[in-house]
Amino acid sequence: MKTFNKIVILSIFPLVIGCATQVSDLVTSTNYSSAESDKYESVDKIDTNLDDLIYFEFDKASLSSDSKDLISEYVEFAKNAKAIRLEGHCDERGTREYNLALGEKRAIEVKNYLIIKGVSSSKIKVISYGEEKPIDINSNENAWKKNRRVEISLF
Amino acid sequence: MKIFLIFLTFLALSIEAKLKIEISQGSKDLPKIAIVPFKSNMKIGESISMLIQDNLTLFGEFKALPKNEMLSFPSKEENFFYRDWNILNVDYVVIGNFQEENSEFINIEYFVFNISLNKLILRGDVSGNYSEKEKISKVISNRVYKSITGLNGVFDTKIAYILNPSREEYKICISDIDGTDEEVLFESSAPLMSPSWSSDLKKLAYVSFEKGYPEIYMQDLFSGKRESIKTLGLSNSAPVWSPDNKKLAFVMSSSGNPDIYIYNLRNKKISRHTTHYGIDTEPAWSPNSKKLLFTSNRSGSPQIYELTVSSNRIKRVTLDGDYNARASYFPDGKDIVLVHGNNGVFHIGTKKLRSRFINTISKTTLDESPTISPNGNIIIYATKNNSQGYLAGLTLDGKSKFTLPVKFGSVREPAWSPFMN
Repeated sequence: MKTFNKIVILSIFPLVIGCATQVSDLVTSTNYSSAESDKYESVDKIDTNLDDLIYFEFDKASLSSDSKDLISEYVEFAKNAKAIRLEGHCDERGTREYNLALGEKRAIEVKNYLIIKGVSSSKIKVISYGEEKPIDINSNENAWKKNRRVEISLF
Repeated sequence: MKIFLIFLTFLALSIEAKLKIEISQGSKDLPKIAIVPFKSNMKIGESISMLIQDNLTLFGEFKALPKNEMLSFPSKEENFFYRDWNILNVDYVVIGNFQEENSEFINIEYFVFNISLNKLILRGDVSGNYSEKEKISKVISNRVYKSITGLNGVFDTKIAYILNPSREEYKICISDIDGTDEEVLFESSAPLMSPSWSSDLKKLAYVSFEKGYPEIYMQDLFSGKRESIKTLGLSNSAPVWSPDNKKLAFVMSSSGNPDIYIYNLRNKKISRHTTHYGIDTEPAWSPNSKKLLFTSNRSGSPQIYELTVSSNRIKRVTLDGDYNARASYFPDGKDIVLVHGNNGVFHIGTKKLRSRFINTISKTTLDESPTISPNGNIIIYATKNNSQGYLAGLTLDGKSKFTLPVKFGSVREPAWSPFMN
């Protein structure tokens, strides 16, 4: 359901501006730009016939048991997929930068659950859009409920 | 005080959304000011005094006496009589005349009188190019404002904000605080967030998703040149320039753990300042560039903390309410403004750093992104009406409330510039 542009950029950024020793603790295994899913476009998306949205409570990143059941149904597909993209979102309430972080926590929560179930972490790409990309732009409970989500795409 | 003005213009495209301040709630007991048309042989005299009047009444801090109610039109100290203004219950009078005026150059002498004190409180002199009369008027307005209130005027400051003309269009705009000279600094089909001014007003930092993930850019306002901060983190966000212009605080997330970092603009080194596994974000510098306020959910809900940069010592600042976020310091460093949420309703609040009480100052329910005028007197924030984002503001003395509607689209994330020095 979600199209995203093919991203053509450097695979791993050296710290162009920075001192390697000072920032060595910042280097982590996860990196947007090196993620496998950057090579794929929406046309390559695997249709699982599963609901591709995981919902959350306000200001929470924890998974409900229903969400865990849904993610579990993804596991076999995910193991066979070349890449997995998890996109975290929030409702409009609260502050934008906090919501950007919260959306990331939500996507990471889904990622960690997939890893527990045996999916390789190296093919999972995580991104948060915070409150920037709502599904429903209205300001009511119903819209907020739909907007607090992680979108799962397999390639 | 004799000053000659040289103005630089930003390199950017101009657009037509245009913020315009509309006073929505004014107080009846505002100080009354009369700006007498400046004596001139050309048409410019009246237009300069009108511009000064527009400035001084911009935020609803003064009430202006209409020209047709004035009993006399003095232009120099020797033909000014206090009784003409006492009768009209005027508190302050501004008069002026042109020492020199031609199609290129103007030199204005002006005076400010405090009527209740029977006193001349300012005599000033400004010169500049005829074509810069708006900017000359702003300089005079600032001087007049300071002579009356003791505070520096903000009429020549700027505001940056994000404009969404439509859902897939994002623009970072800069305009004068009165909405004039609006320019687009950068536009994208992917989200743009978190504009922050450098204290020398030469650059703006912001977050762009143009490459598919949040990245921090610093853009030169004159050359348009952009530079991104590269890290190996999952995402970079919330950049804020330090008041001493030496550092940029920002948030980097490694494996979903957003923490506060500082990028040293001189030696290009990055240092880490929080390590909690929860969310740490929204850093804001203290006026002396030694401390940072930030939002953390380490207690289970978002609350404000203060970090001493040299020691990384952290102190909790807010205790009441289930959602306190995006705080920033007032220029005195003792008070803060923040987003204060309770039961899903979000208002702008102010608080003394060292006391518990949060004073709610806005009435709408989805208020966010407060930004303080550099003189500490006015707050502008973002809010929503029927899913359209717009900016609103108020003076902290409670005497004026205003909105800044645009002709189309949504506006959010206002960032008031520091003073132009």
